[in-house]
Amino acid sequence: MNNRNSKNKVFQRIKQTLKMHPVIIVLLALLIIFGSIYPDRFFSPINIKSILRQFVTLMLFALGPTFVVLTGSLDLSYVGVWMLGGVLVWMVKPILGIFAIIMIPVVGVTTGFLVGVIQTKAKIPSFILTLSLLMTYTGLAALLAEGYPRAVEGYEFITAPIIRYVPSTFLWTIPIIAAAIFFMKYTRICVYLNAIGSNEEGARLAGINVDKYKILAFMLSGGFTGVGAIILFQHLGGSAQMELKLNTLVWPLVAIVLGGTPLTGGSGGPQRTLLGAITFTIFYRGLYLSALHPTMVTLLVGVLLIVAIIISARGLKGVTVT
Amino acid sequence: MIQEKSMTRPKLSPEWLRRNMATIGPITFVIAVVAVFQIINPFFLSYQGFITLVYAMSYFLIASCGLTFVILTGSFDFSVPSVLRLSALISVMYIEKIGFLVIPLALVVCLVIGFINGILLAKFKVPSFLATLGISIVLEGIAWYLSKGHLQLMHNETFRSLATSFLLGLPAIFYWGMGVWIICTFLALATAFGRRTYAVGGNLQGAGLSDINVARQRIYVFMLSGFLSGLAGILYMSQMGGGSVRIGADMAIPLFASVVAGGTALTGGVGGPHRTILGVIIITWIQAGMAMLAIGQDIQMITFGLIAIGMSIATMDRKRIKIVK
Repeated sequence: MNNRNSKNKVFQRIKQTLKMHPVIIVLLALLIIFGSIYPDRFFSPINIKSILRQFVTLMLFALGPTFVVLTGSLDLSYVGVWMLGGVLVWMVKPILGIFAIIMIPVVGVTTGFLVGVIQTKAKIPSFILTLSLLMTYTGLAALLAEGYPRAVEGYEFITAPIIRYVPSTFLWTIPIIAAAIFFMKYTRICVYLNAIGSNEEGARLAGINVDKYKILAFMLSGGFTGVGAIILFQHLGGSAQMELKLNTLVWPLVAIVLGGTPLTGGSGGPQRTLLGAITFTIFYRGLYLSALHPTMVTLLVGVLLIVAIIISARGLKGVTVT
Repeated sequence: MIQEKSMTRPKLSPEWLRRNMATIGPITFVIAVVAVFQIINPFFLSYQGFITLVYAMSYFLIASCGLTFVILTGSFDFSVPSVLRLSALISVMYIEKIGFLVIPLALVVCLVIGFINGILLAKFKVPSFLATLGISIVLEGIAWYLSKGHLQLMHNETFRSLATSFLLGLPAIFYWGMGVWIICTFLALATAFGRRTYAVGGNLQGAGLSDINVARQRIYVFMLSGFLSGLAGILYMSQMGGGSVRIGADMAIPLFASVVAGGTALTGGVGGPHRTILGVIIITWIQAGMAMLAIGQDIQMITFGLIAIGMSIATMDRKRIKIVK
């Protein structure tokens, strides 16, 4: 009797989890499909290593903006933080030595603060604000670096191999993800962020200082992006990049939405982005192994974004979408 | 906009200035831009310089007229550069095979893309910014697939003369741009379609309650934007005579900046295509003027990013909106 009860409970628990995170089903389905199509290649150590490498890139870019998406806004400045930060590291390296890397989080937090203040005080829609800022940063980075990608040496320890077949950057990513999930689960800030996302006017009436917490959300986003970009800086070649690609901008958004954080805000968080990033990476790598033309893969990613948003926008009644 | 027609001549008072800031601001900006570049570079307003400016602004004007309608309804269309690129590539790739049927073909394709954008927003409740971003990615894939990444050259001289034949000392594309601009102004200010667009942007719920089919209006507006982007793409190809998948890259922010710099607010319902021409002059003339002075892409990007932010702050009506995402 007791045994059956507890069995039932486990079953209920699994059912509940699947209902909360339908993306797990997609993930398992993708694993089974790709695993059966290419049984040798898909689970080979090299492919798993590639999956982990790509997961790191995607996750570190997607982690910060998740906090902003919780409040219903959007933060697209992450690529800009990475680029401008990288150039600044190159510039101050002769002065600060190894500590020059601190410039990236500094740029991140400053950007977050700036965006938050402008967004809450001047009331500009956040996506257009951060997009314009991203463009400014790209231009600024190109201007400061005089148009060339600038390689910076001295941070090779970040990518130095520790365990075979596991990229070290993946190991460095784990504490960052853990910190983000800790923030989400055990602090009051994220309760407030969720409240703002689900009903901003209500949150204001309940006595939450909405502006303050929105600025804080943007700063959290900038901070996590900044810390992540330290790892990404070495992970993506140890130099500051100059060119802005639409793909770099959109993939993290796909990961966030796919994970189940709706763009209208109010629910979700880093733990869902984690699932979304894994699913997206496996989807992408699976397609990459196939005979499809790379342009078709790009096309399918766009379709995936739209479908994921449509599914996550299900059941939104009375919400004005512009 | 809501300005009473008084019989007395307007006095130059601070009150009058503040009320008409949306018109005076951009005009002053245009004069300042022209003056600065003219002082630095005496050839800026010479005949040859002016032709360069006209070439720079005409296709841009057509595309941003379409975007203006979308921003008037309070939405955003990120896909304008991608649609422009696709229509330019379609016209260059298939002109050899089907002749001048490429023009209707490209326009129909662009209309369909606009329709999909509109449906995603109006029926599936996808925020327009992300819907059009997703569509952009899809279109980028299609553009790569069509062109295989090669530079495509237009060899048909008749097609090229659509934009580059001279009439009264000015290239034909100038008349295309002006014609589209006048039609759009008429459409926005003097027709029921325009009035419904302003209503949807001004107050969505109110428009719905006053028996406007909001969803249909939004779809129409996105279709108009797609159509005009397609037209701009065809004329772009006719003007430039060639292009690759890089067409329209980094165009999204200058386009957006030109719309808000003209005085169309992001909240919707304020402004219009008649103002956009000022914004287009500001943006494209700065771009062309900088190019004439051999100032690089990086400084241009910084300038447009800052203009976009500054102008959205300046045009936003902060009393009307409570919540902004």
